[in-house]
Amino acid sequence: MVRPVFGRAERAAEPVVVLDRDRRLVEAARRDPAQFDALYRKYLAQVYAFALYELADHHAAEDATERTFLRALAALPRFREQAQPEDGPEASTFRVWLFRIARNVIANERRTRRRQPAESLDAALGAGLAIADGTDIEAQAVTRDEAAHALRALRALPDDRRRALLLRFVDEMSTAEIAEVLDRSEGAVRVLIHRGLAGVARELGRDRGRDRGAASGHGRGSPS
Amino acid sequence: MTAPHLSERDGTQVEALIADRYLDGLLAAGDRRATDAPADAALDPDVREAARVLRAALVRVHPSFRFEERLAGRLADLAAAQAAPALTSGGGQVLAFPSAAQPVDRAAVDLASGPLPARRPLIVGGAITSAAISIVGVAWVAWRASRPGSSRAPGVMGRAARTAHARRAAAAFTGLGGPA
Repeated sequence: MVRPVFGRAERAAEPVVVLDRDRRLVEAARRDPAQFDALYRKYLAQVYAFALYELADHHAAEDATERTFLRALAALPRFREQAQPEDGPEASTFRVWLFRIARNVIANERRTRRRQPAESLDAALGAGLAIADGTDIEAQAVTRDEAAHALRALRALPDDRRRALLLRFVDEMSTAEIAEVLDRSEGAVRVLIHRGLAGVARELGRDRGRDRGAASGHGRGSPS
Repeated sequence: MTAPHLSERDGTQVEALIADRYLDGLLAAGDRRATDAPADAALDPDVREAARVLRAALVRVHPSFRFEERLAGRLADLAAAQAAPALTSGGGQVLAFPSAAQPVDRAAVDLASGPLPARRPLIVGGAITSAAISIVGVAWVAWRASRPGSSRAPGVMGRAARTAHARRAAAAFTGLGGPA
């Protein structure tokens, strides 16, 4: 609202709400499709990692990643920003939209590959380049066996729980974003994540018990 | 739904909310590169430990650079293909041919005056008339050309002119100059 005060216009402070942090990149890509490259580079690793953990096969993950970005570029004119002010300044409806495409592509890929044996997740992860980040410090504290047990437990979870955990940990999405990607309510996503964590915790506890049992068995059986 | 069910569901929701808050802190600590993981006594220690292990195990993985550049090339090709129709259609506007059944978009067609549907039969009628005249003309020329004696047969005026010319020549030769 502009109100003249002593010959000058006093401008009331209006909060500037950036609804989508990718808005400028999306608008640029709409004007010139060649500018989609910036969005591609930004989200490549996130989409690829999600596909790799879901499919446990780096060739399949590459296929799914390729299809996701090609579909996204082709459908970009139809993309509508739907971020709400309450989603916060970090909300990106483009990322949610992209991951909804990825989810569908990966689901199709899983259906077609159900009959084919998937390579182990360890081998698949070895094909990619792990991105160094703040988790390295924690990674030093978590043993390789523990990580392998956790990944096995993760793969044994029901699909929706596993996906929710992957989006939370790998892509660091908020509960609201995951809810949009998975077509669930936020409350349902929180429950999925909690139950997923409980499932992984049970498996880790079982593995530890097995390891302790094996160690004590060795101890009893070993000559004194 | 009974009361125990409700309380059980509420309990699950509360535990899920506590776990969610714990994860917010855990992920934020990772972003800050903080060495201390957040502690939340309200959360089951086993769940907390599972979250910590998963946080360390689920690293983000980048695809090979060869794949990245290959896909970038494919996207660039698709982008060029998408941009091409936009460039070609940017210079002009395709207008539908107006029909008698559909109202004419005057703004698009930019006609000065006169309804286009009224002009259209006129144009068609003119074209039909023009074509009919042409056909009649062609038929007449063909008919004239097909008559064998038409060009050699003398007309009435030709015969009269030749008779008058012969009489004048005879009078000059005899010096009579015609009847007195």
